Amino acid sequence: MKLKTKLFGHNYEFKSLCEVMAKANEEKSGDKLAGIAADSAEERVAAKVVLSHVTLEDLRNTPAVPYEEDEVTRIIQDGVNETIYKEIKNQTVGEFREWLLDGTTTEAMIRRTSKGLTAEMIAATAKLMSNLDLIYAGKKMPVPATCNTTIGLPGTFASRLQPNHTTDDPKGIMASVMEGFSYGCGDAVLGLNPVDDSVESVARVLKEFDEFKNKWEIPTQISVLAHVTTQIEAIKKFDAPIDMIFQSISGSQKGNEAFGVTPQMLEDGRDIVLRRGTCTGPNVMYFETGQGAELSAEAHNGWDQVTMEARTYGFGKKYAPFMVNTVVGFIGPEYLFDGKQVTRAGLEDLFMGKLTGLPMGCDACYTNHIKTDQNDIENLATLLVAQGCNFLISVPQGDDCMLMYQATGYHDMPALREVFGLRPIAEFDCWLEKMGFSENGKLTPLAGDASVFLSK
Amino acid sequence: MIEQNALREIIEQVLGEMNVSGMNAAPKTAQTGVAAPSTSGSVAVATKTTIDDGFIPDVTDVDIRKQYLVENPVNGPAYAELKLHAPCRLAIGKAGARYKTDPMLQFRAAHSAAQDAVFSAVDTAFLEKMGFFTIQTMCDNKDIFLTRPDLGRRLNEEAIKTLNEKCTKNPKVQIYVSDGLSSAAVAANVADVYPSLVQGLKSYGIEVGTPFFLEYGRVGAMDQITELLGAEVTCVLIGERPGLITAESMSAYMTYKGTVGMPEARRNVISNIHKDGTPPVEAGAHIAEVLKSMLDQKTSGTELVKA
Amino acid sequence: MPSEVINSVGIDIGTSTTQLIFSKLTVENRASSYSVPRIEIIDKQIVHRSDIYLTPLLSEDVLDAEAIKKIVEKEYEKAGMTPKMVQSGAVIITGEAARKDNANLVLNALSNAAGDFVVATAGPALESVLSARGAGTDKMSLERGVIMVNLDLGGGTTNIAAYDRGNLLGVTCLDIGGRLIKTENGKITYIYSKIKKLAEENGIKIEVGSLAEVGSLRKLTSIMADILAQSISLTPKTSLSAPFYTNNGKELIDLSKIDAMTFSGGVADFIYHPESSEGNMFKYDDIGVFLGEAIRENQYFKQIERIEPAETIRATVVGAGVHTTEISGSTISYAEGYLPIKNIPVLSIKETEEASSETIISSILTQIPLFKPEGQIEQIAISFSGLTKNSFVDIQNLAEALIEGTQEVIKSQFPLIFIIENDIGKALGNALNVKLKNSKPVICIDGIRTLSGDYIDLGEPVLGGRVLPVVIKTLIFNS
Repeated sequence: MKLKTKLFGHNYEFKSLCEVMAKANEEKSGDKLAGIAADSAEERVAAKVVLSHVTLEDLRNTPAVPYEEDEVTRIIQDGVNETIYKEIKNQTVGEFREWLLDGTTTEAMIRRTSKGLTAEMIAATAKLMSNLDLIYAGKKMPVPATCNTTIGLPGTFASRLQPNHTTDDPKGIMASVMEGFSYGCGDAVLGLNPVDDSVESVARVLKEFDEFKNKWEIPTQISVLAHVTTQIEAIKKFDAPIDMIFQSISGSQKGNEAFGVTPQMLEDGRDIVLRRGTCTGPNVMYFETGQGAELSAEAHNGWDQVTMEARTYGFGKKYAPFMVNTVVGFIGPEYLFDGKQVTRAGLEDLFMGKLTGLPMGCDACYTNHIKTDQNDIENLATLLVAQGCNFLISVPQGDDCMLMYQATGYHDMPALREVFGLRPIAEFDCWLEKMGFSENGKLTPLAGDASVFLSK
Repeated sequence: MIEQNALREIIEQVLGEMNVSGMNAAPKTAQTGVAAPSTSGSVAVATKTTIDDGFIPDVTDVDIRKQYLVENPVNGPAYAELKLHAPCRLAIGKAGARYKTDPMLQFRAAHSAAQDAVFSAVDTAFLEKMGFFTIQTMCDNKDIFLTRPDLGRRLNEEAIKTLNEKCTKNPKVQIYVSDGLSSAAVAANVADVYPSLVQGLKSYGIEVGTPFFLEYGRVGAMDQITELLGAEVTCVLIGERPGLITAESMSAYMTYKGTVGMPEARRNVISNIHKDGTPPVEAGAHIAEVLKSMLDQKTSGTELVKA
Repeated sequence: MPSEVINSVGIDIGTSTTQLIFSKLTVENRASSYSVPRIEIIDKQIVHRSDIYLTPLLSEDVLDAEAIKKIVEKEYEKAGMTPKMVQSGAVIITGEAARKDNANLVLNALSNAAGDFVVATAGPALESVLSARGAGTDKMSLERGVIMVNLDLGGGTTNIAAYDRGNLLGVTCLDIGGRLIKTENGKITYIYSKIKKLAEENGIKIEVGSLAEVGSLRKLTSIMADILAQSISLTPKTSLSAPFYTNNGKELIDLSKIDAMTFSGGVADFIYHPESSEGNMFKYDDIGVFLGEAIRENQYFKQIERIEPAETIRATVVGAGVHTTEISGSTISYAEGYLPIKNIPVLSIKETEEASSETIISSILTQIPLFKPEGQIEQIAISFSGLTKNSFVDIQNLAEALIEGTQEVIKSQFPLIFIIENDIGKALGNALNVKLKNSKPVICIDGIRTLSGDYIDLGEPVLGGRVLPVVIKTLIFNS
């Protein structure tokens, strides 16, 4: 492994693969905050050059956190298919990038090769990709998954209906639920971020969602995004109807500890929902991730946020999730400074998640202290759908009054479907037609009239 | 009782607005969907553009809970009633699969206010009127403040010097104000929260230290201030990250004998202080009570038993 | 989230029946720990329903206080409650029973037997509201977004309340009930005077002592049903109905339309379930079955959707036991050691009078003499909306005006009590305490709207002293 190169005659020498990986990243305020970013644009490119010559084997042998210290590393390393790994280990990152993009490399070939990869290899590849590279490669890697319905099939694009409310007022939540469905949102999941994350309250909301889902015979999934242990309790104590277990996860053991989550908890959650959940399965987990989480918990071990994010995917893969949502842009300007950085992160995450073999979606969003706006986020959403994003988040007019951030809106889902000629998940599509909200994949005049649900 | 009456007024207003916005005028467009602007009727002579006096209504005056823009609804009044329970942007209708013009502009206006709240400074005249002097953290500008939270938690040399010179030492209660992520929150709430808080403490017979304003401040800066001034209880009134519903929300963070690097679990917070959340005057009175219980119980954070 | 349970009782002594229910009201702080508390009643559960007793009478005009007390004591025991455990609720004497000579005596006797809570004599207006709430009509109207009316058909009276999307439109009460004619062994034993007159005017012959004829009673009760239909604007009012309004003849406001109706009270079962009379028109020795049938078959009532409520015969007592208690705002200020206080008359400052300090002061000063029945000031609560008082400066001015207006109260032995609608109770309390130099006990609670003529009960604080249970006894509606 060589760690030196010249650019315009200047010498660039890096001390470690860790340093190369960090400096090869596109500019991110989070890497600067961590003090590991490239000092100049030239140094950034030099790091990319060095990285392009690093072999996949070098990366396998340099996990961000040592195997002995970190269960995320162990899960990723132990999950590698050694036969497939041996076939590719001598490729450089540059070569592997070209192979991925090559016209003769098929979806099936990528899916097979994916089993021989570790998170560090995947992250390294992303660092050598331009935005369109990420889109182009991402589009080649559809990853379907099945809970009650099947998400991620070619020709479809789904959404999470996110009816968050400042006080969890049941009426207010349901008002938003009704409107979301009337725009064709919610085929991925109807999922609430609760204000009150007590077991009682979580069970209460789940029951309400389940009732609504059954009353109107909506083919979808429901979830309340409380901590995994809370959801397990809600099932045990109150027989709460749960289709999927939600949890935020991270790319290092220490990061997961900051979320109060262990692999055992995830196993327990998966186990109980498979036995007692209201779902068909086999994919019954819903994970949320996002660049910067490890740094904010001081759990990054000196590594960059792109690599740590790839490790998060490697960890999540073990639990065969139905959906993985990278929340990009919520974490703040100290990690992703502006619209440009948010866009880049969204495309990187989707690519890395797909290459890991995860059914990826994205919460393309921003807080009000980031220098970006709704135009940037609509751009990102459009790019993500082009990239083959399984789902996006949808909130009323893109404004989440509870989390106090903006994301994509109810209207954006049908608009993106129309632009790209995509349809909702098939059963849900039929349901929308039955309800009169859509016809041949296009909204009808009735769409957006939530009062339909109050007419009987 | 109170809610019912408030609700009734709101509903009446909603119904009133619905009549204007097309619920009853629906048949006009019922069959054809949205009618295109009329192009019929030949205009013989190009008329001269005139500039009329008067204002276009303020789009930020619209109460989004009451707004109802769906055309030809199946059961509009029932949904209008239901959506009063949600502060989000519902029943906004559509133009194709896109937004109607008014809600689109309302959203942009709200975002502009939120961005301005973050990126602008607190008016110095206001601080003077309140009798606060100003100090700074180690951040020199908003960009540094936003990307370097660590620097926003530390006072610069000048600030340390100023505090030592101007402040009463070892106060029972030290209160100060900081911009945090919303200067607009400071401007909107401090003139009510602060005196109400001081009056509340006075009613309990508790004296407060010298107030001031900290620019580019993160919450954690309060611990350095506590140590510097030897305050028993410290309370910072600080602007919250704005949302689109309001850019003026403020929080109060409180500690009992805080120290730099202490666990966050030792801090208490009251958030959502603004005119449509917890009213600032009442919030001040409530904060006073929390501070009093900290002094009584000699602790803060998760250990504090809330009265 | 911590929660606390308030035990509440409802006791309804009606014209024909006496009932009790016990309920548990769960109050909980619904705000996150990062917010100012927001305490609400989150659950209301009925834990015990008494048997339905015939109201014991000593004679036609006198309630049997001793027997009623025994019923109450027996049911407390069955419910596993002691008077001490009950923190809220209401005793009401309804319908014709309220006109018995010793109604007030009975109430007083019960206040000892039932517990340290509020005792209310319901006026007809309150009864109408309580029965509709017990039937759930207000809630149904809100949920369906429609105009609904509840008719509580008791033995002596029919109490009516109309709601538009959950908001009370109005109430009325008529002397129409199932026991206004009584029979025994097929003979008529009693006819209420107004009914007797109604029969005469319509050429229907019925006499005490004569045979109870099905035909005449059907004819008479169908006229009674028409009167009820008139009272809720289903058909134009005629001179027939005028004499039947109680409450000084107050009629319901004209309703432009009614989307659905509920019926409660003892007669309701015969409307919804004609089979419950088992074919015996005189099953209860009165005209209840006839009246039920008459309403069921009435041409005007038939046009309106009829919904069966969760509670029928128990609607009023459920209303009294479950739906009378409110919770104050969660940031309030009160001097310790004065609560609970019961039956406080309310001096209300009108919203228009809140405009300036001068108008506030003069409003209080003009009204205070009304609260000096013996020339001495009594305990009063001063209520106002405070909706325009939001800034610190506003509150200082308000506090000063209130102090100036209430000098007479300040000099008395009673605490100063303010009931405010707007969420400013604690701040105002602090301002008053500072301005009064903590020399006068002040109770300042918000989140409650009351009107002049109301009486209010402030319960003992719950949830660590954060909030007070409040019962408002609104005696005058539609005024």
